[in-house]
Amino acid sequence: MTHLAYLDAGSGSLIVQAVVGGVAGAAVAVKLYWRRLMARFRRQPTDRS
Amino acid sequence: MSVSDAAARVEPGSFRDPGNRVFHRRGEVLRGLDERSAGDWRALAASDFFRDLLDAGKLCGTEELVPTPVDLPWAAVLRHERIPVVSHPYEWSGGMLRDAALLHLEILRSALVAGFTTKDGSAYNLQWRGASPVFIDVGSFEPARDGEPWAGYRQFCQTLLYPLLLQAHLGLDFQPWLRARIDGIEPDQMRRLFSGARRRHAGVLTHVHLHGALQARHAQASTSDVRAQLRDAGYSRELVLATARGLEKLVRRLDARPGPSHWSDYQRTCAYSVPDRSTKESFVDRAAAVTMPGLALDLGANDGRYARIAARHAEYVVAVEQDPTVVDVLYRALRDEGERRILPLVMDLADPSPGGGWRSVERAAFADRARSDLVLALALVHHLAIGRNVPLDAVLDQFATLTTPGGTLVVEFVHPEDPMARRLLANKPDGLFPDYRREAFEALLVARGRIVRRVELPSGTRTLYQVVIRG
Repeated sequence: MTHLAYLDAGSGSLIVQAVVGGVAGAAVAVKLYWRRLMARFRRQPTDRS
Repeated sequence: MSVSDAAARVEPGSFRDPGNRVFHRRGEVLRGLDERSAGDWRALAASDFFRDLLDAGKLCGTEELVPTPVDLPWAAVLRHERIPVVSHPYEWSGGMLRDAALLHLEILRSALVAGFTTKDGSAYNLQWRGASPVFIDVGSFEPARDGEPWAGYRQFCQTLLYPLLLQAHLGLDFQPWLRARIDGIEPDQMRRLFSGARRRHAGVLTHVHLHGALQARHAQASTSDVRAQLRDAGYSRELVLATARGLEKLVRRLDARPGPSHWSDYQRTCAYSVPDRSTKESFVDRAAAVTMPGLALDLGANDGRYARIAARHAEYVVAVEQDPTVVDVLYRALRDEGERRILPLVMDLADPSPGGGWRSVERAAFADRARSDLVLALALVHHLAIGRNVPLDAVLDQFATLTTPGGTLVVEFVHPEDPMARRLLANKPDGLFPDYRREAFEALLVARGRIVRRVELPSGTRTLYQVVIRG
């Protein structure tokens, strides 16, 4: 379960922390975007139907 | 949840996190915690890192009231150490903001190593004991959850990192930006300020441009989805630590040493003779010794000479000066001496901090925070009355408002014949200030209190008054 903080941390502000976290962080960011891209391709056929 | 006890006064600046709330009761600063926050507190209280930070004086003193008062609607109630005078980040110098940022990051790092984190990252989490920063938001700690970035990162950028970038890279005073925006400076505003070659400055490309671009791109994405995606992609607690360390390294580099300014050489160039200065010093010393103030306020403190004299007898001194560079020099000196009873603040007395935030009470106005038993206004009246055209009676009203009833005002009147007053008058049309006379000034003092001592400085063009302000 995802617990939400009282403060809206900001989606962009969360993602950028992967990038500023050095090489390991950048790898996480690449993986995140790769998965988002794949998810978009997977969704496309159903979107058109 | 609300505080039902009629004797409790809720702190108007403490409402953003509904899980805990600061309030004042019978002279004590208390924090009520709901069930969930009480659980977090007990875990925190049992941890070594929390104890170590408390012992080192880096956290404000905190203890739980046991048993929990039954007349208060909270699962747990904490009692905090009282911070002598609350100040706001837009009243701090660059060096102060930087040291506050470093303390916040140090506390975050210690928390992360121990399996905790802070829910937020605001400059308002910090206060001062003299020239020593202290983290006050004990309610901010909670157990860290694996795979989650720091929720306080955006706040940290907006209220601490970005102001420091403005100061260090562009030489801009950050105080007006923070005063105008309670949540700090937005990344998209920073991107406009740091365009072109300025992108190459340390920290700008990632924390400003990339941050702003990702915010714009993911504005519609929910943070819970993004958190889950980051966790699935392998985001780990080590990465949060790496972010904190990276920020710390960056903030250490943002050490903008104060350069020269008009006021920074004032004590040397304002043409005080040695006898004038020593007369003034002994006058202030005696006034402070007689008053033995709990709180003393030095208005127009410059290099802090008289604030230090007041501190010989006062429990705590606030030294207010309008020039951020002068305050920064004073802060660094006080910090290096380990001074914990003199708080230097940046403030233009012709434009003191108003109330800010929600309903203008979330951040209290300066006059509501700094009422003092002893107020020093030395070599100041002419700057306000002639330099800023403030009527003499209004100048004295402000001083009287800042003095507790029955408290003491030490004020210097610079005669119109004095070289400094003449220099200021030369910039204004002849006859603009017919009331700027010693007799008129004294009459205004008598209307507000009792003059108990009056000394003319050896130069013959300046008079010091010690006045007990009427209750």
